[in-house]
Amino acid sequence: MRGFRSMLYPYVVWSFIMIVIPMLMIVVYAFTKEGNSVTNILFTLDNFKSFFNDTVFIEVLERSIFIAVITTVLCILLGYPVAYVIAKLKPASQVTAVLMITLPTWINMLVRTYAWRGILDKNGLINSILGLFGIGPIKILETGFAVILGMVYNFIPFMILQIYNSLSKMDPSYLEAAADLGANKAKTFFKVTLPLSLPGIISGITLVFLPAVSSFFIPKLLGGGQYMLIGNVIENQFLTTGKWGFGSAISMVMAVIILIAMYIARYIDKKLSVKGGLD
Amino acid sequence: MKKLTALFLTSLLLITGCSSSGSPSEEGGTQTAAGDNEYSSRTLKFYNWGEYIGDDVISNFEKEYDVDVISEYFDSNEAMYTKLKAGDVYDVLVPSDYMIERLLNEDMLQPIDKSVVTNLGNLAEGVKNLDYDPDNTYSVPYFWGTVGIVYNKNNVPLEELESEGYNILKNEKYKGNIYMYDSERDSFMVALKALGYSMNTENEDEINEAYEWLREQHKTMEPSYVTDEVIDSMANGNKDLAVVYSGDAAYILSENEDMGYFTPSEGTNLWSDAMVIPKNAENPELANEFINYILTYDPSYSNSEAVGYASSNAEVLADLSGEDGLYYNNEAYLPRTGYENDEIFHDNETLRVMLSDLWSKVKAE
Repeated sequence: MRGFRSMLYPYVVWSFIMIVIPMLMIVVYAFTKEGNSVTNILFTLDNFKSFFNDTVFIEVLERSIFIAVITTVLCILLGYPVAYVIAKLKPASQVTAVLMITLPTWINMLVRTYAWRGILDKNGLINSILGLFGIGPIKILETGFAVILGMVYNFIPFMILQIYNSLSKMDPSYLEAAADLGANKAKTFFKVTLPLSLPGIISGITLVFLPAVSSFFIPKLLGGGQYMLIGNVIENQFLTTGKWGFGSAISMVMAVIILIAMYIARYIDKKLSVKGGLD
Repeated sequence: MKKLTALFLTSLLLITGCSSSGSPSEEGGTQTAAGDNEYSSRTLKFYNWGEYIGDDVISNFEKEYDVDVISEYFDSNEAMYTKLKAGDVYDVLVPSDYMIERLLNEDMLQPIDKSVVTNLGNLAEGVKNLDYDPDNTYSVPYFWGTVGIVYNKNNVPLEELESEGYNILKNEKYKGNIYMYDSERDSFMVALKALGYSMNTENEDEINEAYEWLREQHKTMEPSYVTDEVIDSMANGNKDLAVVYSGDAAYILSENEDMGYFTPSEGTNLWSDAMVIPKNAENPELANEFINYILTYDPSYSNSEAVGYASSNAEVLADLSGEDGLYYNNEAYLPRTGYENDEIFHDNETLRVMLSDLWSKVKAE
């Protein structure tokens, strides 16, 4: 046992260098006065003050969370039926279906999002088709709708796969038992299938909500820069303004929000899965 | 440690070079003519704007000098500066005027070796000896141009542009039909010029007025804030008005004949991007050689032809805008000179931070 444990050390060192140090640096920067050098550390809370005192940034934060929540809800509503259908397929077809879902994620997200510009354009694919029926052109690109569409499109595979995993692992004898006891299809779904697939939904939520809340290039590319989200603000502080301290402070605020969100998700997961098991 | 941060900041990093055309003379190849030159098998690190160079320029240079060129790309001066400050080493950079000024102020550049860069005489009249580097001691211009408005000639009458100037961007007739350029410098240039001020103003009242101008525009006009997306979008005719860099405009005009380019008489940003050698360059001799090579006719022609920005090479500029040239009659290609309200951007730290803050607020609202 001892020998095996020592094999962990390279991993520990690696994760220390690649994960812990950068995180610590963000914390240090967040509490440091202007100047992007780590050598002269001057403790300050100014970065946090200027964030919370500025209603503009708070609004951006609210908007980011709002859009991320909508994205997550839509991903569940659209993703669940897809995952359910895939889980009911023959095993061989399931493999193909899962492949089809993962296939787009092999291509760079930025490239796929850029492609949506061409589809949603005033003279793009959708408007040309609508044009054939004498409708339009309607403005789709550079609206809030386009931003949400882009987010759902990019993140839904993670939701589908998580739900599919938990559905496919489900023991079919539960369903048979439910049927034996006289439950109809709807009742079986709500009393048995749904509660058992909750862990999948919860991990899907974490996988969708986290990237959605901090995404910056989707609102930039599809929202025409009008839907500035917190990710854009952070990017801006690092790359344009050069205020690393302020950028780090916003990142920390985000990290805390995400931690809380994850904690809540886990808590609900525990509560519900226990309840689902007993019911 | 700073490198780690840089790693996280790196958004786009492409490595070219090392292709088949790289170095044919590893072993025994030293007898070839190429292998004899003093730079043989060295590596040049070139940090340039994305989509800013002709197709064969790098590979021809590699062949001619038997060297490898590693190209990396940036999409804003500030992103480039951040990487440079984080300790990354490059041999040649292509920053803009005000950024060169900043790098000079921070003593980060080394002088051009004029005994190697002998082609400085090729530079076009309007782009040499500019006031950020009066004798081209540290910088050699690459491209130059203006910022103006690309408009759809079918939907926007030229008279309206002439009478309203930049204020046409607040004309509610074009609500939801406008692309602004997503950078504080360019947006504030538009607002300050529209109000009749200098774009290098340090007067806070004037800056706040410009901020209000932009805020009001954001609220009433629903403009989209884009950068490179504007090129394809305007070439497809998505909107009627767009604030665009002249070189991108030249491309748009050559793709879509409905589009025109207009530079308001209120003035514009006369900008230039120039090649410089950072102090910490590993191969400064090769960097000078490279700069000299870019100044010659063929690479300059290839760059300007491919990208659409005005060449710094006088002969290329004349040929491309001349009667048989690719950009003949393209009003966006040749930068205008001799307008007294046209200015060059200067580096100013207080202004930089202030504009950047205000600009995030305009967009965040």
